[in-house]
Amino acid sequence: MNRRTMLKLLGGGAAAVGLRPPIFAAGEKTDQFFIIIHAAGGWDVTLWSDPRNERKGLVEPASSANTDPGHLKHWKAARLDGGVTTFEPLSPGNTSLRLGPAIGDLYELRDRMTIVNGLAMNTVSHDDGTTFSVTGRHRQGGTIPASSVDVMLANELGTTQILPDVVLRYPASYVGDQLDRRVIPMRIQQVESLVKTLDRTDQYFLDDDRADITAVLTDEARRLAERAKHPQAYQQLASQHTALPSLLANDFKQAFGVRALQTKYPTFNYRSRSQGNGALSAAFAVEALSRNLVRCIGFGFGGLDTHNANYRGHALTLQDLFDAVATMVKLLDATPHPVRRSSMLSEHTHILIVSDFCRTPQINLLGGRDHYPNNSALVISPKFRGGREFGKTDPEQVLPATSVKFSDGPRPIAPPDLLATFISAFGIDPRRYLRDGEVVKEMLV
Amino acid sequence: MRAIWFACLVACSSRGVEQPTSASPPDHKPFAITAQQHGPRMVPPEAFLRAYLEWFGHLGPRDVPKTARGWKLFDDWYDYLAALGLPDYKIDFPRATQSNTMMLATLGRLGEALCIKSAERDFRGRLPLEERHIYAFELRPVTTVDAFAEPFDVLHRTFLGYPVALAERGRLARFFELYQRVMSRHATAGRLPGDQMAWAAVCSALVTHPETGLY
Repeated sequence: MNRRTMLKLLGGGAAAVGLRPPIFAAGEKTDQFFIIIHAAGGWDVTLWSDPRNERKGLVEPASSANTDPGHLKHWKAARLDGGVTTFEPLSPGNTSLRLGPAIGDLYELRDRMTIVNGLAMNTVSHDDGTTFSVTGRHRQGGTIPASSVDVMLANELGTTQILPDVVLRYPASYVGDQLDRRVIPMRIQQVESLVKTLDRTDQYFLDDDRADITAVLTDEARRLAERAKHPQAYQQLASQHTALPSLLANDFKQAFGVRALQTKYPTFNYRSRSQGNGALSAAFAVEALSRNLVRCIGFGFGGLDTHNANYRGHALTLQDLFDAVATMVKLLDATPHPVRRSSMLSEHTHILIVSDFCRTPQINLLGGRDHYPNNSALVISPKFRGGREFGKTDPEQVLPATSVKFSDGPRPIAPPDLLATFISAFGIDPRRYLRDGEVVKEMLV
Repeated sequence: MRAIWFACLVACSSRGVEQPTSASPPDHKPFAITAQQHGPRMVPPEAFLRAYLEWFGHLGPRDVPKTARGWKLFDDWYDYLAALGLPDYKIDFPRATQSNTMMLATLGRLGEALCIKSAERDFRGRLPLEERHIYAFELRPVTTVDAFAEPFDVLHRTFLGYPVALAERGRLARFFELYQRVMSRHATAGRLPGDQMAWAAVCSALVTHPETGLY
């Protein structure tokens, strides 16, 4: 061995020691599925999770003066003053929950709901609130500094899935060079675009021609990876090319067509003005999970950013959202697990629903509610204690109040705590992904 | 053991500086890239799409649906914008910085449409070479890898920017095999003759090649 070789070996060893090990999956096979939902725009928590029906401090409750109660299933009128009526909160006996009139059909599943109230957001910016809710970190300037929770879960439990992480109108972020490249979220704008993208004519190329092209490209990417100093990008492309033929298969395209989904899952309200797209995404989620295709799905509902007179329809928009979630859970209850023959999908599917923040307790001059640095979140998971509410807000300002004793003392729950608790339920060490946040063990079964 | 320690001592006591090589100018240190090296990154989707549109005849975005229309080759841009990695500020949809399978599927769909339509235009019209968009070579029977090399080099330079002679060994053979397989499948007359379909397949592979999308 000459001196140069010796130096190279020593240098290589030192470099290897200095490198951070990649956060690759633990190699664990799982049969759990995850659905992360973003209620975009900022929801009014006083209409569902943290109901208010009295004028107190800043609070101007939802009433017949500012809300259209006509189509709300759980609006039981209560006198506010004069000819104005507000609502009677729902207090189901078998739970500790107190729910507002916009809860919709989700009321039937109340004993499976875990509600987190008084989430300290410290922001009223849509971008920042959204990022904070799904990553546990505020934006740094305009930059998202951490991966979203779906990526964390997919990186640990979904790397071997055909599609580890699929997102539709959901703010997924993949940050860092230590994650498995296979879990880069697959972004789809709409369910229709998925089918169009995968559609191929047979008038020119045949499927075998495309398979040959894909094989050449996979081979090219692998060979480039072998020669490259930084092979990850080429390896990523090779694995993506490998997955392509299964996506282009015909039964897949047929199953995910809009009509096919609507026919197979007719119980969703696809005609909802505000949440029709979300309902379609929910149907897509059920179909994708039943086929064991995706480990983690993120999708969004919209229509909640109601600063002016459109606030009158906010409660109905929320109800449509919760109706769609309830329909999805009921379908998961009735759908066999694709791997565990004796189980239903819902026994192994974990749903987290978040929003950007909540809306002001007071009504503004335009008749709407603006952004407010408080929030609620909803978990429906067999790993969480159902029919329970954690965290709280103060009675006059609806701001996060001290509720849990953390290692740094009592304080309100914040999004990083919720995310840490959520991923820890599956044996994942939150410190691998989250800078902040502490597990709230009381939430877990 | 003592010998290893001695060797280590000798090695570590020497200054770890590369000796000038014969290629270095006199009294100059050898050339070395000292900047931090990162792995290849995805070409921004806008730049990538612009390259696509340039290659296929300086098309404007609105020309693509017109050019590629028919037989479900391509329809409209709107549905594909997110899949191609472009941001949508209307719904706060961020720019994709990493490729994914859906993006490859979309680029594949677009590439296939443009390669086929260019083949129809360039070959069927018997255009002079200088007026062709993509297939700027004479269409001759290709039965050997040597006969394949020259026209393949034209496409290789167009899409990857350098001659195939400088490419990794084996690439030429792999693409020749692709050419042969597609050609044999389309031996009987279809919408395009077998050799034109085979060149369109080679074009489709090159336009979605890993080196095309990364820098």
